[in-house]
Amino acid sequence: MIVATAGNILVWAVWMVAAFACIASAVAVVSFRNPFYSALALIGNLGSLAVLFLLLSSEFVAAAQVLVYAGAVMVMFLFVIAYIGPRTDSPWAGGPSWQAVGAVLAAAALLVEIIVVIGLKAGGRLADSADLREGFGSPAEIGRLFLTDHLLAFEITSIVLLVAAIGGVILGAHSRRAADEVPPL
Amino acid sequence: MTVTGAWICLLSPLAAAGLITLAGTRITRRGAGYLATASCFVAFGGAIASFAGLLGRDGEEREVVSTAWTWLSGGSYRSGFEILVDPLSVLMMLIVSGVGGLIVAYSLGYMDRDDEERRYFAYMALFVFSMLLLVQGGNLLLLLAGWGMVGLSSYLLIGYWHERPSAVAAAKKAFVMNAIGDATMALAFFLLIKEGNSLEFGILGGDYSSTTANLIALGLLGGAVAKSAQLPLQTWLPDAMEGPTPVSALIHAATMVTAGVYLIVRTHPIFEQAPAIADLAAGLGAGTLLLAGLIALVQVDIKRVIAYSTMSQIGYMFLGVGLGAYANGMFHLMTHAFFKALLFMAAGIVIHALADEQDIRRMGGLRQLMPRTYLAFFIGSLALVGIFPFAGFFSKDSILAAAMDAGAYGYILWTAGLIGTFLTGLYTFRLLYLVFGGEPSPFVREHFHAPRRDLVGISMAVPVAILAVLSVIGGWIQWAPLWHPIETWLETVAEPLVTPASWMDWTTSAIALLLGGAGWLVAWLLYSAHTYQVPRFAFAQRVLEHKFYFDELYDAVFYRPTVRVAKAFYRWIENPLIAGGTTELGDETRDLGGLVARLQTGLLRTYALAIASSVAVLAIVFVAVK
Amino acid sequence: MNGPGTAWYLAVAGFLFATGALGVLLRRNPLIVLLSLEIMLNGANLALIAFARHLNNGDGQIFALAVMAVAASEVVVGLGLIVALNRKRVPLDVDRLSSLRG
Repeated sequence: MIVATAGNILVWAVWMVAAFACIASAVAVVSFRNPFYSALALIGNLGSLAVLFLLLSSEFVAAAQVLVYAGAVMVMFLFVIAYIGPRTDSPWAGGPSWQAVGAVLAAAALLVEIIVVIGLKAGGRLADSADLREGFGSPAEIGRLFLTDHLLAFEITSIVLLVAAIGGVILGAHSRRAADEVPPL
Repeated sequence: MTVTGAWICLLSPLAAAGLITLAGTRITRRGAGYLATASCFVAFGGAIASFAGLLGRDGEEREVVSTAWTWLSGGSYRSGFEILVDPLSVLMMLIVSGVGGLIVAYSLGYMDRDDEERRYFAYMALFVFSMLLLVQGGNLLLLLAGWGMVGLSSYLLIGYWHERPSAVAAAKKAFVMNAIGDATMALAFFLLIKEGNSLEFGILGGDYSSTTANLIALGLLGGAVAKSAQLPLQTWLPDAMEGPTPVSALIHAATMVTAGVYLIVRTHPIFEQAPAIADLAAGLGAGTLLLAGLIALVQVDIKRVIAYSTMSQIGYMFLGVGLGAYANGMFHLMTHAFFKALLFMAAGIVIHALADEQDIRRMGGLRQLMPRTYLAFFIGSLALVGIFPFAGFFSKDSILAAAMDAGAYGYILWTAGLIGTFLTGLYTFRLLYLVFGGEPSPFVREHFHAPRRDLVGISMAVPVAILAVLSVIGGWIQWAPLWHPIETWLETVAEPLVTPASWMDWTTSAIALLLGGAGWLVAWLLYSAHTYQVPRFAFAQRVLEHKFYFDELYDAVFYRPTVRVAKAFYRWIENPLIAGGTTELGDETRDLGGLVARLQTGLLRTYALAIASSVAVLAIVFVAVK
Repeated sequence: MNGPGTAWYLAVAGFLFATGALGVLLRRNPLIVLLSLEIMLNGANLALIAFARHLNNGDGQIFALAVMAVAASEVVVGLGLIVALNRKRVPLDVDRLSSLRG
């Protein structure tokens, strides 16, 4: 169980703070009316996740999370939100009400199942974690894995990025027709 | 040569039919006629080749089977597409292709200017092929195939002038009655397969229990009776006269209606095992010949008189083969083909000359206007009545003589046959005198136009002439007491069961000649010299004119109840269940589709919810199972 | 290892996932939907990294990086769509975007 050493207590404390921030910011994202605030909350979420990754000895992934996710993706989000302008909607209103009930039920069911799986089913096996070898989670290790064992994934991911870039360009291109045509809904 | 000739004989008319059909309007109408005629003569050439080939062999070797391919095989049963060349089939091949060829040539002239000549010649070629398939079939299955196709061709040709409702009705009647025979034959074949597991001709000689043999023979007899228009399935033949005259000549005189006789001879082993059925066949033949002879006395349509005459003569053939005089029956089949086709074709020339009039009450005095046609008709009549030395004398009398050798029952039939001879003489010469005798009637004076001298006329005249010659000399090939090559020829196929002694032959011939002559005399007195008035027996006249009320009987017993049952089925079963059922099926499918379509709300959130719920459920399943 | 065991990290990941799912299903603004989708992806990432650490296997980290790259691509396309919708004056409400109705 929990071994109380000084290092251990420190890790626990950091973990508690980061986990709490993670969860709180996640709830905030889905709750705020203003999308701008939601985006900012998501940045907080990403940051706390990076801390959690560090606690799991995955330094490179933590760095990538902050640089790519929080740095690039979220900035893009903020750009678009600012471009679209202020738009608030009542977060829980509208739509068939049975859908809301069903949604809550489904999400709750998922959560319960995950807890059950972790707690009851996988009980013993999640207790002991393996000893880490030297260089686990370092950029060198990640690079080696990407370029040897998972080269195909690497290449395919790059193609996906290419496709997304092309898609973004096409979607953003100005159309030649009259700008104010509203397609029928 | 034997086999090749036989195949050429069989396939040449089929090729003609196929070519005419495929060529459509690309060949001229007359071209179709030439093609059909040529194919029949080629077939005749093939038949001659087969005949020559068989002649070169000894008696027992005169049976050649040629298989093209295995048609059906299942389990231990096997049927091949094979043709049989033996004396009996070659005899039929010669008759069918020879007389058929002459009749098709005659049609060139008769059907000239008809709008759909090509269809006619295609059908005629198809018929010749079907008949050849029937007689050349190497097993019962192919015989049945030919049998059915012959019925089909008959239907197509009777209803050839399909704008006429009477023709269409007659075609249907013929086909349905033939189908009854087909059904009984099929049942007989089922029994054969069950007992012998094969439909080769050989299994007919196998050992069967008396019941089985009787049932098989009865089924075969049913088919023969239907196809040959004997009692009790004879009502379709007079109506079949709605077809063109060459059709009547070929199908309903010379070939198709004789298929029943051929069948009995071919399957004689089973009839010999079922003597009761064979006697029944002979009895039906005797009954039919009397019935038809009586009805022919009051008919007023020229073709119908000849049709009843056909029915009567086939009765003679059934009498002969039923008693076991196979060769005599086949001999009469051959001579009958000659003189009956001759009579029909001569009648056709008369009909054409009188602008399609067929009522003999309006005719008269044509002898002066159409002397050559009169001569042909006269020769045909002499042959039919059996006057020496014309063809019918030799063949018909030999059948009756054979009946004398068949015990007491045979004597009864012999008497019936002789009465029939008197009737034959009477109605034949009645027809001759009414049509050709005396002075030209007013109708004739108004409508007669002489037969043409061009190709049309020649094409009609030459076959008639050839058949007239054959009707004279055709019988000379066998005179039972003196020389009988036909009997010898057919011996290897069917040994006769009855052999009349010489004195029987002479006696029968003498009496038959006397009675035939008596009939002629009576006809001359009544219709030509007008010495006496034609007696009027009102009741008998009515019965005969209604053809012994057979049509009315069948209508009441079979047709009306069937129609009522069919109407009831339509009202109670077909409409609500089947037609309604399919409509309901369509409606319900549409409704179900509508229900399912409601799932497509178009809302993103609904779809996402569906995915999330499914994942939740699946997770529970995985956790529980694992 | 020091600190909480793998199970605790997985619990947090599960919570993130459920919260993100809730957001996707309940919000009407497509931007918020996209943000909630990001939260779900991050939950999955956390689970991957936790297992990588648990099993001393770098494959989990590789997977997480690939997920990150794909998530970025998806956000590009999604935002492009939203901008295009906005330009066409289409109301940004997922409940109104139902022209693919059957």
